[in-house]
Amino acid sequence: MENQIIETEIIQLTKEDFSSDQMVKWCPGCGDHAILHSVENVFPNLGIRKEDFVVVSGIGCSSRFPYYMNTYGVHSIHGRAAALATGVKLANPKLSVWMITGDGDCMAIGGNHFIHTIRRNIDINILLFNNKIYGLTKGQYSPTTPKGHKTKTSPQGTYERPFNPGELVIGAQGNFFARVLDTNPKGMTAVFMEAAKHKGTSLVEIMQNCVIFFNKAHELITSRETRDDNQLQIEHGKPLIFGKEKNKGIILKGTRLEVVTIGENGVTEADLLVHDQYEKDPGVHMMIARMMPPEFPVALGVIRSVAAETFEQSMMDSIAYEKEHSSIKTVDEMLNSGGTWTIE
Amino acid sequence: MGELKLMKGNEALAEAAIRAGADAYFGYPITPQSEVIEYLMAEKPYDRTGMVVLQAESEIAAINMVYGAAGAGKRVLTSSSSPGVSLKQEGISYIAGSELPCVYANVVRGGPGLGTIQPSQADYFQSTKGGGHGDYKQIVLAPASVQEMSDFVKLGFDLAFQYRIPVLILSDGVIGQMMEKVELFDQIPRLTDEEVAEKYPWATTGKKKGTERRIITSLDLDSNKMEEHNLHLQRKYKTIVENEVRYELIDCDDAEYIIVAYGSSARISQKAVQMARKKGIKVGLFRLITLFPFPAKQMQELCKKGVKGWLAVEMSAGQMVEDVMLSVKGCAKVEHFGRFGGIVHTPEEVLRALEEKIIGD
Repeated sequence: MENQIIETEIIQLTKEDFSSDQMVKWCPGCGDHAILHSVENVFPNLGIRKEDFVVVSGIGCSSRFPYYMNTYGVHSIHGRAAALATGVKLANPKLSVWMITGDGDCMAIGGNHFIHTIRRNIDINILLFNNKIYGLTKGQYSPTTPKGHKTKTSPQGTYERPFNPGELVIGAQGNFFARVLDTNPKGMTAVFMEAAKHKGTSLVEIMQNCVIFFNKAHELITSRETRDDNQLQIEHGKPLIFGKEKNKGIILKGTRLEVVTIGENGVTEADLLVHDQYEKDPGVHMMIARMMPPEFPVALGVIRSVAAETFEQSMMDSIAYEKEHSSIKTVDEMLNSGGTWTIE
Repeated sequence: MGELKLMKGNEALAEAAIRAGADAYFGYPITPQSEVIEYLMAEKPYDRTGMVVLQAESEIAAINMVYGAAGAGKRVLTSSSSPGVSLKQEGISYIAGSELPCVYANVVRGGPGLGTIQPSQADYFQSTKGGGHGDYKQIVLAPASVQEMSDFVKLGFDLAFQYRIPVLILSDGVIGQMMEKVELFDQIPRLTDEEVAEKYPWATTGKKKGTERRIITSLDLDSNKMEEHNLHLQRKYKTIVENEVRYELIDCDDAEYIIVAYGSSARISQKAVQMARKKGIKVGLFRLITLFPFPAKQMQELCKKGVKGWLAVEMSAGQMVEDVMLSVKGCAKVEHFGRFGGIVHTPEEVLRALEEKIIGD
């Protein structure tokens, strides 16, 4: 048997096992710190040996992550982390591969590798730090910067329509998509745990705040005054309810979602859309992922979690099948199989 | 006298692009050249001249936008720094193969890989020996001042269109980031669509009755035709070697020793030459302005005048030094000196290298 494990029991690891000795070089107040703490809390509780974790990143502020995790890591090429992580996972499928990326790394230069990794359904976990700005190069707009926002490269406001990561993931046949806030450590930890357990590519969009170049990018969803009306914590099997008074909800009307008030126009809780994260059809998940203020609240939590065969499982099954069914068992048999001739 | 300004090298390059009548700039942020796109965006060149500026999703996208715009006969440029320029190489090879004009700038930082954001000259091989695939050349201009960052944009466009070739402005983090006085040239008007159609019969300007369809391509599956195309390219490169060599000689008339350098290394070496002269050492500076074409003939002429030793100073592990060796053909000793990986050498280090490696034995 390959890779024989000598220990039979897994030692219970702690957060400290995953903290590296590196000085964390993110700005004070950066949302990345909270994400790092959450990941440090999640890794020891996955039942995975420390040496089986690999943290892969591209380029950007978020991509400094591998230095700060006491695991194996690769700080790779701008936009190529998804391809690199694919290589790591396929070369050694028993590894737990975590890809750390940002909105620029993942969806601008890396957009192509990103959608193809999701389409293949490689079993890696992608944490997408979405701060809607290029932080490392000091403040140019990214593919998720809101249209009209003024940055160093859009002093008159951007002309471009931003990507919504959820739409891309589900559009690329993704099976796991969740969205969390960097201000909610408990929420992050719970969602990261679920993402880790999902077989196949999981993508968690973390709405992360860059204090220097786009401070308060997510303020509408995070501030005490406005968050209740602009965020909706979704839970599997529960109706989509939100608002300070918990009296607003989402209904499916025809082919669209609509915000309603419970108690008005005869609407009751029973009329509301009930979230089913396991539904295979992506239609409603796509609609929930697309919800954005001012028309809708932003959906937070696990939006889509559907079991499907992973690429590496198909690959290994195929290899196993061939090993079992092929008439060729040895190198000699291969050399003498078919296509041979005699020179007379 | 043109307008005088105190500017960063990157800003001077950006301003010069507007003034050179460029139609478009496509770029992507990367340290240490992000000021190029930031300056262009802030200047609103669309209001000034109608020039378009776009932040692409990657360097690859940017060079392919350049490829498209160049094919349409427009004056177009992009810029980046080393890792980003590596990404552009496929596009450069195709632009060279398709014989299109464009200007692009590399504000070099230390490598390989992600390297560092500090200055370097380690992209000399990539710039002069190919970079992309195939037998192609590009004209490489090496500014040593903020003034030249501006001037070479204009010169670059002139050469690019004269020879239908990519022109690279190869600077480094020092030249890109430092501020100096610069005399800006006057605004050159952008060409109208009618002027482009008339001047550039190769451009895709719309098929008119009785004209042939123009297809921009670098492909020909007929090897005989492809060899002919390559021979044509080689003839063009030969013409460029004959006509477009540019360099500056400082204190070379009576020089027994010569330092060869370009860009910020030339500025540092110039100081080293002054220090050496004070000590009575007869040394001159051969500052390269074009890296391709390389001034091989001019170096041979200096050899004939009895130069005893050559020191190639560059912020790399030794790249340009190979061309110096090939040029002087063993007439005298050739050595390399340079710090690299983001370290900038001092004039004192250059002088010490001259004394130890060239004069010493």
